[in-house]
Amino acid sequence: MKESQGIGSPSIPPLLAMTGISKSFDGVEVLRKVDFDVRAGEVHALCGENGAGKSTLMNILAGVLQADAGRISLNGDSVAGFADAHAAQREGIAMVFQERSLFASLTVAENIFVGRQPVTSWGAIDRRKHRVLTGELLREIVPEIEPDDSIADLTSAQQQMIEIAKAMSLHAKVMVFDEPTAALSSKETARLFAVIQRLKARGVAIIYISHRLEEVFQLCDRVTVLRDGVWQCTLETADTTGDELIRRMVGRDVEMPSVEDAPARGPVLLEVRNLCDPPATKNTPGFLRDVNFQVHAGEIVGLAGLAGSGRTETALSLFGARARGAGEVRLAGKPVRIDSPIEAIGAGLGYMSEDRKDSGLFLEMSIVRNISVTSLRRFGSWWMRTGRERVVADGFRRQLGLACRNVGQNTGSLSGGNQQKVLLARWLLVEPQVLIVDEPTRGVDVGAKAEVHQLLRDFARPGRAVVMISSDLPEVLTVCDRVYVMCAGRITGELPREGLTEEAVMRLANAAGANGNHRP
Amino acid sequence: MKRGKWARGTISRETGLLLLLLLAVAAFRILFPVSWESFATFDNFASVVRNLAFEGILALGMMLILITGNFDLSVGALASLVGVVTGWLMKQAGWPVPASIVAGLALAAFCGFLNGIIVARVRVNALITTLGTMGIFSGIALLAGGPGITFLPPSFARLGQSQWLGLQAPVWMLVILGIAAHYGLAHTRFFRQFYYIGSNPKAAHLSGLGVARLQILAFTLMGLLAGFAGIAYAARVATASSTVGIGKELGAITACILGGASLQGGRGTAWGALLGVLFVATMQNMLLIKQVRPEWQGIILGLVLVFAVAIDAVLNRGRAA
Repeated sequence: MKESQGIGSPSIPPLLAMTGISKSFDGVEVLRKVDFDVRAGEVHALCGENGAGKSTLMNILAGVLQADAGRISLNGDSVAGFADAHAAQREGIAMVFQERSLFASLTVAENIFVGRQPVTSWGAIDRRKHRVLTGELLREIVPEIEPDDSIADLTSAQQQMIEIAKAMSLHAKVMVFDEPTAALSSKETARLFAVIQRLKARGVAIIYISHRLEEVFQLCDRVTVLRDGVWQCTLETADTTGDELIRRMVGRDVEMPSVEDAPARGPVLLEVRNLCDPPATKNTPGFLRDVNFQVHAGEIVGLAGLAGSGRTETALSLFGARARGAGEVRLAGKPVRIDSPIEAIGAGLGYMSEDRKDSGLFLEMSIVRNISVTSLRRFGSWWMRTGRERVVADGFRRQLGLACRNVGQNTGSLSGGNQQKVLLARWLLVEPQVLIVDEPTRGVDVGAKAEVHQLLRDFARPGRAVVMISSDLPEVLTVCDRVYVMCAGRITGELPREGLTEEAVMRLANAAGANGNHRP
Repeated sequence: MKRGKWARGTISRETGLLLLLLLAVAAFRILFPVSWESFATFDNFASVVRNLAFEGILALGMMLILITGNFDLSVGALASLVGVVTGWLMKQAGWPVPASIVAGLALAAFCGFLNGIIVARVRVNALITTLGTMGIFSGIALLAGGPGITFLPPSFARLGQSQWLGLQAPVWMLVILGIAAHYGLAHTRFFRQFYYIGSNPKAAHLSGLGVARLQILAFTLMGLLAGFAGIAYAARVATASSTVGIGKELGAITACILGGASLQGGRGTAWGALLGVLFVATMQNMLLIKQVRPEWQGIILGLVLVFAVAIDAVLNRGRAA
């Protein structure tokens, strides 16, 4: 623990310093003159809400993105940035991903030394040296793994350890961990922390990104908060509190919710009781556990939480698009058994997916066909009445203020906001009893966002209901009548309109550590 | 919709291919006025379409599969197999002709269904699956029929050899199937679903479409059409050959891609498949008349295919930017 004495004394020059980093995408500024530094032997946490600019900053450091302005200095050498990921790697900067960058069909040793295997004087791969070197690395952090093991046989936590070993073999001076514990159990997390402590003792500078504040306090020496792409503060973790960090992360003046009057609460439309995932193994429960909530007619109910907290999984389970364990679902009082999206739609449920390009739209098909896809029978059981189909689409075009040349245009050529409106029109046409919208305004500009919100309200008002999954807290606060917060596969609390503040949501969204419920 | 496309300065692949075909014919006329005399005859036209009927029917089925985002390499072998089995039933086993044909078509549909089950339910990649079944089908065809079964009953041969307006029956079958496929794909709810599952299977699933079921149906229809092509061809030449289908699957894929399909799925029309087949057959015919060595055919058609797709890719990129 000798290193930690030096931490905080400004006399030690940082190993890595990023100064005045700015970056814009399509004219939208995502980072504005951000300063960030990390010292040798320090663990420095980077915190902020989704979209605060953490990933962009780290991608600039790793050479994946290039900054518009600012400099990066490493060991006193100042450069404008790295041209690509290889350049950053050569300078000793390593990103530790979870499993993503490993070759599943190769062995551990081959993965660690991919592209730079030790060779004999004949130029052939020196398998023995290869194994010995790998063995040395592994003994230090994961002794139970052999160099010849196949990556595919390892757990995701073990794969992460292989990523770390790979970074160590590159003699990385700076290692970036991006949400490393998102998929780890508490035991695995403890082990990861022990390894990080060891790296720290070797003088590696570590950048640690996490939404879990208890980890920040447990592991990190300093913490930097970003909000909306702007540096907020850099604090010693010893001198601050979780509440202060949350305040700094949320920070903005909370606008008064614009919900006019509390809606007349109708009867319960959707009731979810003890929804669980199937057990992962015989003795370990699945990810989703005992999810309970109710949605009344006329309501917009929010489902808040951090990325990976189980909101989308809950929606997909309800919608029959995901394997489900125990639990009961009632729609309008009647128990329903839903095993496929077809059944879900038939029962009166709709789900608007979070990733419109990946799992929402048919990009090379027309607006008309994208709207009608879930209601094809309405236009004919055999012959399609395409004229009628077009008339309906034109109606939505006017109603939603869709900006397009005509409804025959491909959806792929529309802007994000208009694409989202097309997706919404699809479900408005189905008129489900309960519509679940997942990140309905992601990547949508401010004007279209307000329009989408209004459409959702108009949809819910006459006796239907909306469940809104959103990581955009201001959106949750302005649109929702009531909010459930999820963390690590469970509902950690319910907030009525009156108790709805960003702080309250963030606290519940971080509540898992306090209860000891880590994701298995 | 049409006007929108013109206004954007781009045209569909089908229209482009039609223009290219007309251009090639016009060039042929100007460059080779003497050969033109033997090209522009009804007899030559009748022989071109007679020869393309087999691949045309395969291409219609292949178009269905390509629209759903898969492809099928086994169709040539399946056409051979079904022709041989049908011929064997009527010649060796002494079945009546209609029963043999029904049994052959049932076998064809079953083999297609099998492909579909393996791809959609067991989730083996379509390339691997149909590469495997291609080997199996052609192997069984050779085992069952040797090099082929000749002198099939005249009542059967009549089905493939009778003429109307100077064109043989398989050509008319292709025309009828083509019209049916065109209306089916353009106007029915059932076939509309093929475009959705090919364009974005995840989104189709979340929109309540039975993706796997539709994929299996597409493979089954493909099998049925392959069998139909095999039987029609066997009837025309009164011989069931075990090797007639070799390489025809690639010809069908080539024609469909030229006619506007995409290996990514979600695109293509029946009209495009027919146009693609007609284009390839016309080019081959012109090269034949000019007595160009057959080696050149592959080179020229290969160049046209790559160019057509490359130009389309460049135009699409321009549109996205």
